[in-house]
Amino acid sequence: MKKILIVEDVPDNAELARKILASRGYEVLQAENAESGFQSALDHRPDLILLDLGLPDHDGLTLASWLRASDGFENLRIVAYTAWPPDTAREMSTSYGCDGFVAKPIISVVEFLAQIEPLLA
Amino acid sequence: MTQQPQAVIELIPASQFSIGELTSIYNQTRVDYMVPMPMNAERLAEYIETYDVDLERSLVAMDGSGMRGVAMLGVRADRAWVTRLGVIPGTRKGGVGTALVRGLLEQSGLLGIDFNMLEVIKNNTPAHQLFFKLGFYEVGELLILRRAPLVPPIEPMIADARRLERYEALDLIGDDRGAQPWTNQSETLHHVTDISGLRLTLGDGSTGWLVYQRQKFLLSRFIYKTDTGDPAVMAYAFLSHLHHQYPRLDTRLENIHVSDPHLPGFRKMGYIESFRRIEMWRGEPPASLVHSK
Repeated sequence: MKKILIVEDVPDNAELARKILASRGYEVLQAENAESGFQSALDHRPDLILLDLGLPDHDGLTLASWLRASDGFENLRIVAYTAWPPDTAREMSTSYGCDGFVAKPIISVVEFLAQIEPLLA
Repeated sequence: MTQQPQAVIELIPASQFSIGELTSIYNQTRVDYMVPMPMNAERLAEYIETYDVDLERSLVAMDGSGMRGVAMLGVRADRAWVTRLGVIPGTRKGGVGTALVRGLLEQSGLLGIDFNMLEVIKNNTPAHQLFFKLGFYEVGELLILRRAPLVPPIEPMIADARRLERYEALDLIGDDRGAQPWTNQSETLHHVTDISGLRLTLGDGSTGWLVYQRQKFLLSRFIYKTDTGDPAVMAYAFLSHLHHQYPRLDTRLENIHVSDPHLPGFRKMGYIESFRRIEMWRGEPPASLVHSK
């Protein structure tokens, strides 16, 4: 079973993403800030992280750069989860080593999954 | 359809709330922002300390249902700073934001301060209009820049480089750098412990310096000056030395003036624009701001 870690501090946003991904049979883990997200990634080695870019301790981009600088995450997929305008989200997430981004809030479950699932194939 | 009567808003000094409560209300007001910038209690406490926020003069808006908004006031000598203003979604357009800003202006007035400054995220039209309505005027645009540590390693430009200790760095930033946004004023750097710097002399005689904060994962709070030479070249030289020394650190810079002549050097070094803010002032800037020491 593929493992997905959601790092998101707003409970409603995290819960919606969790429900959608769990309904597709993924094992879903959650963390609400960058430091606990980093520790959870070390402990559980997820296949993909859905990463909020605005976190209360360090921002999501900084967490992405820690993960990319750490050993053992070469195959990890990181997807930014953000309300930023698409052009900014694309440029920032790409430069920080993310594999894609999804817009917040989730409006279409179909579109959300279409951005996540190909990365887990 | 009958109109709901507006609830009576009471403004309470923020000092009457715990840091945890202030963090909670602040985060609730930002939850639907494009760039929400949430904080935990530790970060908010650091923010209050670093930026001279006076909680006695900062305000929380309450109505019969509880906390509705928050706004904080930074105070430095003869100037004040409006910051962390936010109103909980669903409560907006009911006069809470106006009441909070008016309340802060009254507080700064009680201190004898008639110059107030702030920054507002570009395209946050309701906040921008509110500040215009209350007498603020635009001063310029500010950039928030990022540089990921993933770009290829940088070779430092050939230069005579000397590392500066904290006391030397703090001495340098007392130089006249013109009017700076609140976050980049000298007082801010004096509150930060992990400050150091770099002085460079290039082969053509150009000279300048860079002061920065280095944390475990992050470089930030750059203050710099080109004494002689091309600022863009000097910026590239500073950055090539800094990123060569700290290749694995993320970098975030706040409130760089869009007209800063050093910017081409930042862009060449891989810095990208995250978003923009508009700087606004109210009143005549005091000499202490224009000739920042």
